[in-house]
Amino acid sequence: MKINEIMTKEVKTLLPDTPAVEALKRLFENRISGLPVVDAQGKLVGMFTEKDILRAILPSYVSQVGRFVYENSPKTIKCKIAKLAEAKVGELMRKEVVKVSEEAPVCEVAHIMLTQNVRRVPVVDADDRVKGIVARSDVLDQLLKG
Amino acid sequence: MKKIVLKFGGLFFVSVASGFLSYACGLNTHQALSLAIFVASIMGTLFFWEFRLSFAFLGSGLLLIAKAIDLDSFLKLTSLDVILFLAGMMIVVSLLKDAGFFAWLVALILRARNLSGKKFTFLVMVISGLLACAVDEVTSIIFMVAAILEICDYYEVTPTPFIIISVLATNIGSAATVMGNPIGILIATKASLSFEDFLLTPFPIALIALLITILIVFRWYRRAIAEFDRHIEEMKADDILLKLISVPMDRHLKTSLSVFGAMMVLIVLHRRLELLLGLTENTILLIAPMITAGVIMVWKRHKAREYVERGIEWWTLLFFMLLFAQAGTLRHTGATDVFARLFADFARNNSGGLLALVLWSSSIGSSVLDNVIVVVTYVPIIKSFFALGYGSQAFWWALLLGGCFGGNITLIGSTANIVAIGLLEKEKNIRVRFRDWFGIGLTVGLVTTLVAWALLLLKNYCCTF
Repeated sequence: MKINEIMTKEVKTLLPDTPAVEALKRLFENRISGLPVVDAQGKLVGMFTEKDILRAILPSYVSQVGRFVYENSPKTIKCKIAKLAEAKVGELMRKEVVKVSEEAPVCEVAHIMLTQNVRRVPVVDADDRVKGIVARSDVLDQLLKG
Repeated sequence: MKKIVLKFGGLFFVSVASGFLSYACGLNTHQALSLAIFVASIMGTLFFWEFRLSFAFLGSGLLLIAKAIDLDSFLKLTSLDVILFLAGMMIVVSLLKDAGFFAWLVALILRARNLSGKKFTFLVMVISGLLACAVDEVTSIIFMVAAILEICDYYEVTPTPFIIISVLATNIGSAATVMGNPIGILIATKASLSFEDFLLTPFPIALIALLITILIVFRWYRRAIAEFDRHIEEMKADDILLKLISVPMDRHLKTSLSVFGAMMVLIVLHRRLELLLGLTENTILLIAPMITAGVIMVWKRHKAREYVERGIEWWTLLFFMLLFAQAGTLRHTGATDVFARLFADFARNNSGGLLALVLWSSSIGSSVLDNVIVVVTYVPIIKSFFALGYGSQAFWWALLLGGCFGGNITLIGSTANIVAIGLLEKEKNIRVRFRDWFGIGLTVGLVTTLVAWALLLLKNYCCTF
């Protein structure tokens, strides 16, 4: 079975100029953790997720300090949350995106999701235009159906 | 593109010129060739820092192809003992990070009652210096920067002066023990120096240098310290600050500290234990982190692979291995004997003159190059001094102290400097300009190097301390 048979074809996308706060609101409203970012021609340019917001508001050294427990919300984080109001999706998104073609087998996508540690994978055509998106639950559902 | 071409051109020109010049100065073909390749490697590191490992690999390959050295000898010169020591220490540091030891330590600053600008500055410098004695400078500076940013954010003061202050103390502290800086363990192994030897000479010198630097910093940054006082007075929020970073002294942290403490006991007493057990010098010094790492990997078996794969900086260690071997090749070919002879002639065969030459050239060299490169280049030369009959333990200390203190002179002088200003720029969008650093850096670098020179001369000639 090919991925284009199970992918969600009506894809909500973001533009790089979309304010980050507005993009985050859309994630909350749709109860999803990330959306693909496309340019004016519909070409995939990045992926914007809740993780990118966390990365923006936490200090950059957070992965290097091990156990460093904040009891109260420190001012540094509050200041960064305030600065988020001016940030755009294009500044925070991940530019290197794991993507697959429409002809990719479901098993291959499952393999990519596990090894690359991604929850959703945009499906693109030969020109990198977003044709759909597939979530981990969609892949699991299909695999278990047999 | 033009910049890259110019850099490559410069690299090629300097390497070839050094080869021809050294040939003209009396080196034979093999010696001149090994020097040219070594210089090319170093220049590649200087101009293309992110490709330094590539240059190390390529340079090593060229040395072997040019028959400057055979493979067996090359492999022996990689100083695997030092690499394993550093790898072991990195695993121990990974455990301590996970346990929250460093966060607990820097939170001590927050516990200071009646905090004032001077008290804060003093605490930052002492904790930076002490931390740098026990673990690598990069780990210690990351935690200090994290704490300083939090505190300065809270009091709404600019963090730049306090971060620079912390870096100055880190570089000074890293000279005090065998563990503080990779050049410490390198010099200890090459010169057969023990932890006790470090406690007798560089430790007190670093302590005196740190105290003098504290006084310099109190004067240089008096305005920033006074501003900090004003903000503390306005906010008066000790209790809130206390709760900012909290790491409870739980069982996991206590056990981790015990493991670290046991390793420190082995390291501190290594020379005594080696004599008792009839082991070669520095055996226990080198294997203490390895044994500790082994114990940690059994205790934390679910995280062992993570500690090894992510905790150990393989990129850096591979670079060091090849750099050590390349510098060792210079001695293997006899090139360093010729240089040692030239240096001795320049210093008019005077050991005091040679001491000054080693100290000041390593200090100035470390201000622009990574201190490991400077020390690795000098090690075979100092060994040649011994072969020529000019040897003195003081030369090793001069190399260590010059290599560490010189790192304070410019903002690229040490990895700690680069990491700290990188974090400052990332977190606060504050760019430290060369001239912002150079004033205080040159002052502290020169004064501390002078202090080291004076105390080494005193120790050398008076034999009392």
